[in-house]
Amino acid sequence: MSMSDTTMPGRTFAAAKPRAAPQRRKRSLKHSKWPVLLLFLPPALMLFTVLVILPMGEAAWYSFYNWNGYGVPEQWVGWRNYQLIFRNGAFSQALINNGMIVVASILIQVPLALWLATMISSRIHGALFFRLIFFLPYVLADVAAGMIWRFVYDGDFGLVGGIAHLFGAEPPYWLADRDTAMYAILGVVIWKYFGFHMMLFIAGLQSIDKSVLEAADIDGATGFQKFRLVTLPLLGSTVRLSVFFAVVGSLQLFDMIMPLTGGGPSNSTQTMVTFLYNFGVTRMQVGFGSAVGVVLFVICVTLAFSYKRIFMRHD
Amino acid sequence: MASVELHEVRKAFGALEVIHGVSLAIEDGEFVALVGPSGCGKSTLLRMIAGLEDISGGDIIIDNAVVNDLTPRERNIAMVFQSYALYPHMTVAENMGFNLRLSGTPKAAIAERVNEAARMLDLVPLMERKPAQLSGGQRQRVAMGRAIVRNPAVFLFDEPLSNLDAKLRVQMRSEIKTLHQKVKTTSIYVTHDQIEAMTLADRIVVLNQGRVEQQGTPMELYKNPANLFVAAFIGSPAMNLLDGTIDAEGGEAAVRLSDGTAIRIAQDRKVTRGQSIKIGLRPEHLGPGKVGTSLAGQTLLVEPTGAQTHVIFDLAGQPVTAIVDGEYPQRYGSLFQASIAADQVHVFDRETGIAL
Amino acid sequence: MTDIASSPPIDAATAPGSGQRLRTTTQIYMYVALILVAIIVVVPLISTALGGFKTLSDLRGNPFGMPTEWQWSNYGDIIVSQRYWLQMGNSLVIAVLTVFLTLAFGAMAAFCFAHIRFFGSDYLLNYFLIGLMFPAATAILPLYIRIRDLGLVDTYWGVVLPQVAFGTGMSIMLFRNYFRNLPSELFDAAFVDGCGYMRFFWHITLPLSRPIIATVGIISFVGSWNSYILPLIMLNSESRYPWPLGIMIYRGEFNTEWQLVLAFITLTILPTIIVFFLAQKHIIAGLTAGAVKS
Repeated sequence: MSMSDTTMPGRTFAAAKPRAAPQRRKRSLKHSKWPVLLLFLPPALMLFTVLVILPMGEAAWYSFYNWNGYGVPEQWVGWRNYQLIFRNGAFSQALINNGMIVVASILIQVPLALWLATMISSRIHGALFFRLIFFLPYVLADVAAGMIWRFVYDGDFGLVGGIAHLFGAEPPYWLADRDTAMYAILGVVIWKYFGFHMMLFIAGLQSIDKSVLEAADIDGATGFQKFRLVTLPLLGSTVRLSVFFAVVGSLQLFDMIMPLTGGGPSNSTQTMVTFLYNFGVTRMQVGFGSAVGVVLFVICVTLAFSYKRIFMRHD
Repeated sequence: MASVELHEVRKAFGALEVIHGVSLAIEDGEFVALVGPSGCGKSTLLRMIAGLEDISGGDIIIDNAVVNDLTPRERNIAMVFQSYALYPHMTVAENMGFNLRLSGTPKAAIAERVNEAARMLDLVPLMERKPAQLSGGQRQRVAMGRAIVRNPAVFLFDEPLSNLDAKLRVQMRSEIKTLHQKVKTTSIYVTHDQIEAMTLADRIVVLNQGRVEQQGTPMELYKNPANLFVAAFIGSPAMNLLDGTIDAEGGEAAVRLSDGTAIRIAQDRKVTRGQSIKIGLRPEHLGPGKVGTSLAGQTLLVEPTGAQTHVIFDLAGQPVTAIVDGEYPQRYGSLFQASIAADQVHVFDRETGIAL
Repeated sequence: MTDIASSPPIDAATAPGSGQRLRTTTQIYMYVALILVAIIVVVPLISTALGGFKTLSDLRGNPFGMPTEWQWSNYGDIIVSQRYWLQMGNSLVIAVLTVFLTLAFGAMAAFCFAHIRFFGSDYLLNYFLIGLMFPAATAILPLYIRIRDLGLVDTYWGVVLPQVAFGTGMSIMLFRNYFRNLPSELFDAAFVDGCGYMRFFWHITLPLSRPIIATVGIISFVGSWNSYILPLIMLNSESRYPWPLGIMIYRGEFNTEWQLVLAFITLTILPTIIVFFLAQKHIIAGLTAGAVKS
C-alpha cells in the first residue's frame, strides 16, 4: 500500500546518516509557500501602493509647487503653500470646527449613547426595535442625511420653520446664519452617529461578566452605584474607542457638510476636508490642495498614534 | 503498513534543543505509546514523524525509506488530533473522504471506502451530519474514521482521548484497541496518561525532557523500571520512594532507613555497603499479611475507593501509601502493619537514579 | 441610597416591594426617553417621505402633517425616469465591483499574513495598516492625477480601484485576525490530508470564513453605496453618477421645488432602508464588530 514502495525502493544507510542541522532547509516541508505568496500578495500590494502610498508621497512633493495639474509641476514655491494655509482664516475655522465636533461628541454623543445603551441592555420590551431605529441614520448616506436636514432646517418649507410658525415666531434660517450654522451641523452629526456609538456600548456592556454585577448586588450597591463603580470602569476601553471613532470621523467629515452648507456661510462651517475641496480641488490648486492634504495626513497620523499610545495602550 | 525507524532524531527551536537524539525502531503492525509528562517532547516527536515539524537532525525512516523531506501526504500517514480537527463545514462523510478527494480518487471508490470505515466504526447513521451535531465520542470516531479511510502506512494519535470525560475515555480506549486489532496498522500513540499507554500499547516509550528514559512492554516497565523517573511515572498510585543506605541485616543485604528500620532486598542487587540509595515500594505490594520484611507506622490517612482502600502511613518520617482490601478495618491514627517481599523492593542509586 | 447595614429591619422587609415600585417608575421614564429619541430620529425621515407627496405650497404651510392632496406624480415621475434607475444601477455596479475586489484581495493577502512566515512579513503588514490611518480625501488631488494618467477618469474603475485600495487595510486586518483564530490543528489535519496552501485556502479557510466575509462585505458595500467624494472627483458624465451625486445634481436642478427633491431623496434611500430592515441583524453586527476589530 505504501507509496514509498514505488518511489523510494530500499533504503541505504548512507542516506540515513544524520546530517548537520545548519545545512537543512528551513521549513523544508512546506516548501510550496512561494507560489502562494507570489499569487496572493501582489494584487493588494500593488493596488495599495499605487493608489494609497504613492499619492500620499506625491502630495508631499506637489505641496512645494504652484501647479494646476497639467503638464509637470515646475513652479517651485518652497513652504509657501503651507504658510498660506496657516494664514488662511477659513483653515483655522476648519480646525476649530473639527475640534468642536470632537468636543460635542465627548460631551453629548458619548454620554447619550452610553445612556441609551444601558437602557436598551436592561432587557426591556422593544429593545430590538429601538436598536433598529437608533442605528438607522448610521446606514444612510451622509449626503442623504445632510439633504434631509437641509429640509428640516429650512425656514420656509422645513420642520424648524413650521415649529417657529406654530409659536408665531419669525422663521429661523440657522444654516444661513454664520453664528448658528455650525451648531445646526453638530446636531446632524449627533443625529446620524449616536446609534453607532450606542452599538459600541451595547457590545461593551454585553462583554461584562454578569456575575460581577451580581456580586455588586450582593455587596449592596444601588443601581446608580453599580453603574458608576462597576459598569463604567469596565467600559473604559469602549469609551476610549468611541471617542477615537469620533475623532477619526470628524477628520473625514465632508459628505454631510456639502448638502447642508458646502462650508458656508462665509466659511463658518468648513471642515478640513471641505476646505481641501473648496480651496484645492474646485480651483485645481494641486500644490495648495496637496499641502492641505499633507497637513491633514500629519494630523490624522499624529492623532491616531498618540491616542492609541496614550489612551488605548492597555486595550 | 510499514515499519517506522527513528535514527538520532533531533529538534531545536533556535538555540533551544527539545529533542536530543531519539532513536526508535517500530515494527510493522506494532502499537507503540509515547508517554511522558507535558513538555517532554512527545507531541513534537509525533509531529516530526507526521511531517508537520521539520527535523533538525537525524533521520525518520518509514517503510525503509528516509522521509525527512517528504510532506505528510507523501509519507502516507494518518493522524488523529487531540481536538479532532474535523472540518466544521463538511459532513461526516465529506470529512472522511476529503483526503481521497484531494488525491483524485473516483467518487464511487471514495464512497465505498468511506462506507466501509463507517461500518467499522458504527458511524453509518451519522454520515450526513456536521461535526457540530455530534457528541464528543462520535467526533472522536469520525476522526479515527478519517484516518482509516486512507489506508495509511502509519496511524499517529496525538492525545486523542484527553478531551473526553472519564467514562467515555475508557470506552474509546477499548474502541481504539479493537480497531488496531482489526486493521493492524502500525500505530504511534502519544499520551501523558500512563494507564492509557499501559492498556493500549504493545510497547511503551517513556520520554522525559526530549530523551528516551526506557522502552519496553508495559509489564517490563512496570516490573523493571530502569530508573527513578520511569519508576515514579509508571504505576498508579505511584511507587513510594524512600531514602536509605545499604547495610547488612543478619548476613543478608538490606536497606536501612533514616529511623533505623531495615528492609531486606534481593541478594542479586549490585550494591555496596554504605551506598546512598533510594528504595521504591509499590503500594500494591505493601500490605498486611504478606511475606517479607514487616513494616509498621501510624496511619495518616485512609482513602476508600470501593474494592480497595489506600492507607497512607508514616514510615521513617515519610508518608507511604499501601493498598489494602476494601473490607480491611483501618482507622486514622491507629498503627498500620504491612510487609513487603525482598524481591519487590526496587533499589536505585540516589545520585544517578539508575536501577541497581 | 439604601444602606442595608444601617436600615432598621422593618425597612429591609419592605425594601423589595419599594424597589419593585421604583423599577416600574424608572421603566416608565426609560420608555419616555427612548420614545422621545426615536421620534427625533424618525420624524425627519417621515416628514421627508410625506413631503414628497405634497405640493410646494402645502409644504410651506404644513411641513409635519399629512398631505392635503396626495401628489403621487412627484414619485411617479421619478420612478419612471431613466436617471433614477441609471443612478441606482451605477451605484450597484460600483459597489459590487468594490466588494468583490476588497474581499478577494484582502482575503488573499491576509491568508499570507496569517499562515506564512516570510521575510519582512511584519513590516509588510504594518505597511498595509498605514492605510487605516488616513482617509482617501487626504491624497485626493494626486489620486485624481494618477487616475487621470491611467486613463480611468469618468469610468467605474476610477472610483472602484481607489475604494478597494483604501479598503485593503481594513479587509486585511479583519481577515487576518479571523484566520489566525481558526484552530491550527485544522491546518495540520488538512496538511496530513494532502492540502497545500492553495487548497487549504480554497477548501478549508474560505468555507469557514463566511462570517468575516459577510462583515467585510457589508462594510465595503455600505461604504461604496454611500460614497460621495470619490465619484464626485473621478466622474464627469451624469450617466455614470451614483445616487449620492445624483441627489446633489437633482437638488441643484430643482432648487426651488423642495417637494420633488424630497421625493427623490426618499426614493434613493428606500433601497438602503429596505435592505437594512431585512438584514438588520447582520448589518448592525457587521458594521459595529468590524469597526471594533479593526
